[in-house]
Amino acid sequence: MFSWFGRVSFVPYSKVQDFAVHLKDGRLMGSRCKQCGYKIFPPRADCPQCMSGEFEFVEYSGKGTVWTYTRIDAAPTGFDRDVPYTCVVVELDDGGRLLAWSGETLPQADVKIGMKVQVVPRIFDDTPDIRVFYTVERPGTTWGKAPAPHLG
Amino acid sequence: MSGRVGVIGVGHGRFGRRSDATVQELAFEAFRAALQDAGIDRKELDASVIAAVPEYHKQRSVAGAVQEYLNLNPLPTWLTEVACASGSAAMRTGWMAIQSGLHKVVAVIGCQKMTELATADILALMGRVGEVQWESVFGTTFPGYYALFATRHMHDFGTTRDNLLQVAVKNHHYGAKNPNALFQKEITIEKARDSEPVATPFCVYDCCANADGAACVILASEDRAKALSKKTVWLDGVGCATASMSVLKRPNLTGLQSATDAAQQAYRMAEVTAKDVKVAEVHDCFTIAEIMAYEDLGFCEKGKGGRYIEEKKPYIGGGGVAVNVDGGLKSKGHPIGATGVSMAVEVVKQLRGECGPRQVPNADVGLTHNVGGIGQYCFVHVFKKN
Amino acid sequence: MDLGLKGKSAIVTGGSLGIGAAIAVELAKEGCSVAVNYRKHDDEAKQVVAEVEKHGGKGLAIKADVSSFADAQKMVDEVVKKFGRLDIMVSNAGITWDGPVWKMTEQQFDQVLNVNLKGCFNYNKAAALVFKQQRSGKIVNISSINGMRGKFAQCNYAASKGGEIALSKSLAKELGRFNVNVNVVAPGLVMTEMMKSVPPEFQAVALAETVLGRFATAEDCAHLVAFLCSDLARHITGEIIKIDGGQYI
Repeated sequence: MFSWFGRVSFVPYSKVQDFAVHLKDGRLMGSRCKQCGYKIFPPRADCPQCMSGEFEFVEYSGKGTVWTYTRIDAAPTGFDRDVPYTCVVVELDDGGRLLAWSGETLPQADVKIGMKVQVVPRIFDDTPDIRVFYTVERPGTTWGKAPAPHLG
Repeated sequence: MSGRVGVIGVGHGRFGRRSDATVQELAFEAFRAALQDAGIDRKELDASVIAAVPEYHKQRSVAGAVQEYLNLNPLPTWLTEVACASGSAAMRTGWMAIQSGLHKVVAVIGCQKMTELATADILALMGRVGEVQWESVFGTTFPGYYALFATRHMHDFGTTRDNLLQVAVKNHHYGAKNPNALFQKEITIEKARDSEPVATPFCVYDCCANADGAACVILASEDRAKALSKKTVWLDGVGCATASMSVLKRPNLTGLQSATDAAQQAYRMAEVTAKDVKVAEVHDCFTIAEIMAYEDLGFCEKGKGGRYIEEKKPYIGGGGVAVNVDGGLKSKGHPIGATGVSMAVEVVKQLRGECGPRQVPNADVGLTHNVGGIGQYCFVHVFKKN
Repeated sequence: MDLGLKGKSAIVTGGSLGIGAAIAVELAKEGCSVAVNYRKHDDEAKQVVAEVEKHGGKGLAIKADVSSFADAQKMVDEVVKKFGRLDIMVSNAGITWDGPVWKMTEQQFDQVLNVNLKGCFNYNKAAALVFKQQRSGKIVNISSINGMRGKFAQCNYAASKGGEIALSKSLAKELGRFNVNVNVVAPGLVMTEMMKSVPPEFQAVALAETVLGRFATAEDCAHLVAFLCSDLARHITGEIIKIDGGQYI
C-alpha cells in the first residue's frame, strides 16, 4: 500500500504504510509515540526519543511556510509526463517538513520563501491504479475527506 | 596514533566518456601510473582499498574484479562506498589500516564507470541519494537537491546567479590546462548564462558532468615512506562527519554541517587552521557547493562565499585559498568513486611543486573536501609538505 | 437494519413515474432529500415531491431532457445549491421504442440510445465531478435483464441497457479510489402503471419465464436501490444485481 505514494514508488512496504490509505481519504498523517508522546512528521514506527515501536497516526493540518524550492526541468526516468514541476520544501506549522509539488493554485513564479501555504492530499487521476500524493497550494484551499461510513 | 601516514605515489587516468575501457582497465591506468610515480614494485603493497559506487556497474562486487585485474590477489581488499565521497572514505580507511599497524603500504584506488547507463537512468539513480520514501517519489534529482540550497543561499545572503556561474568559469579556466579533464575548454559567463535550465537556479553549466575514470594513491607508514620515497607528502589530518539522509531534516539549507564538522576535526588533528591552507580541492558537484565550501571550510565568513568568488580570491594569486585549480568536478567530470582520490592526487602534486602552469606558489598545506550525496557524508583531509 | 441514509441528498432521473418514483419515495423514507428529473408528467412529479417532503426531507422536481449534458450539470449544480450536498445519483430514466431491425428507423435507434445510455452518462458524469472532489458518493444505474440477453424487437433498448452495464463497470474502476460505488440494478418485468397497458399475452410469456411466478413491484426495486446507496453496501462496486424473480437465470 505504501507503493501508492508518489508518481513513482521506490518503497513498497513500510510499518507506516497506512499513511497512503489515510492520504487517499484526504488526511495528512504524522505519527505519535504511544509510549512517550513524541510527535513527528513524516510518520515513523520507531520513536527517536524513547525507541518504542508502538505508534499511532495523528492528523496534521498541512498548514505551513515555504522554506525553499526549485523548478526541475531535467526529469529522471518516470517523471517525463510531469516535467517541469516545482519541488517546494514546506515547514509545517504542526512540526516537521515535507517536500511536494506546487499545485494548481500556486504557479512556480508565485512561490516565495517565507510565504504561507496549505499542503493538500491528492489522488492521481491519470493512472489506472490507485496512486496518491500531495501538493502545495495557497492557504484556504479546501479538499474532500472521505467520511466515516454510516453502518447503521 | 603510531606515527604519520604518507603518500608515496599518485596516479590519475583520463576522465571522460571512456567507451574504450572497462572499470578494471581504467583502474589499471591509474594504478600503473601510481606505482611508476612511487618508483616501487607491486610486491611492496600489503593491501588495497577500493572506492566505487557499485550500482552503476553490471559487475557485482567490483572491488574483487579490480583486485584481480591489478594482479593483487591474494592481498586483502574491500570496497568503501559513501556515494560521491567513496574515494576519501577509501583514503581514510587506508590511513586507519596503517595507523592500526596491521598494514604498512596500501594502494587506494578510486574507479568508476557511469556512462554504461542512459542519462535519465543516471539522473534517477543519483536522485535516490536523497531520501527515497518521502522525496524521490516526487522526482527529486541530485541537481534539484542542491538547487534547493542555492535558492535559499541566494535569498539569505544575496548570492547571485552570476556568482554561481563564476565558479564554473574559474574551474573551466583551470581544467583547460589539465590533460586528464573531461572538458578542456574555457567558457564565458555569457555562454553559461544561456545554457539549458536544469533545476532553478541551475542551468547546465552549474552542474558537473557524469564521467568514467580512475585515480590511485599509495599510502605508507612513516618508516616505509621514509625508506621508499624522497617526495613523501604527509596525510596529517583526517576528519569525517555525517548528516541526515533527508535534507528536510537539516538545520539549514545554506551550508553542510558535515563539512564544517569534518574540517574542524582535520584542522585540529593536523594542528593547522583555515588560514594555513594554500591549495584546496573542494567538492563542486554544483556551483553552489563550492560557494558553500568556502564558508564551511572557513576560507571566508558564512554568507560571503558569493563575494569570495566574485573578487576572484580562489584563483592562483587571488589572495585567498587556490581552489580546484585542476578544474574541479565541474571541468574534470565526476566519476563518483574516483573523485575523492583524484582530489588527493592533485593536492599531493601541488605540495610537491609538480603542477607546472597550474602550480600554486609556496604550497605547503593542502586540503581535500569530499562530500557524499547532499552532505550526508563529508571527509576533509589535510596534507602537509613537511 | 438502519441504512444510515439520514440527511443524505439524492437525484433520481425519470423520477415522476414507476420505478423512479418508488426509488425517490423509498430514499425519502430513509431520510434523504430527493430531487427528481422528469420529461413530461408535471402533476405526477409534483406528487412525488409532496411524498418526499412528507417524510421530512427536501424535495425538488426539475423538468429536463436527460440527453443534454448541460441540463444534467445544471441540475446537479442546483441540487448542491438547494440541498447543500449531493451523495446519491440514481440514473433510471429510460424509454422503449420497439421494432425488429428491418423496421427500426435510425431515429428509433438514436432516440433510445440518447435517452437511456447517453442520459446515463450525462448524469453519472455530472455526479462524478462532485463525488470525486468530496471523496464519497453512490451511483446506481437502472439497466434491465434485456441488457444481459438478446430480446426480439428491442435491439435498441438492449444495446442501451447493455451499454449501461459496461459504462457502469468502467466508472466503478475510475471512481473507486475516490470512495465512490457504481452499481447496476437489472430488473425483469416490473408491474408499474406503464406495464398494466402491455397486452396480456406478453405478460403471460414473461410470467412463464419467472420462476417465482410473480412480477416485481416498483417498491421491490426501490428497496434494492436503497440498500446499494447505503454504506452497508460499501464493499459492492462494479456489480450487476438482477431483480427479476428468476426471469433470466
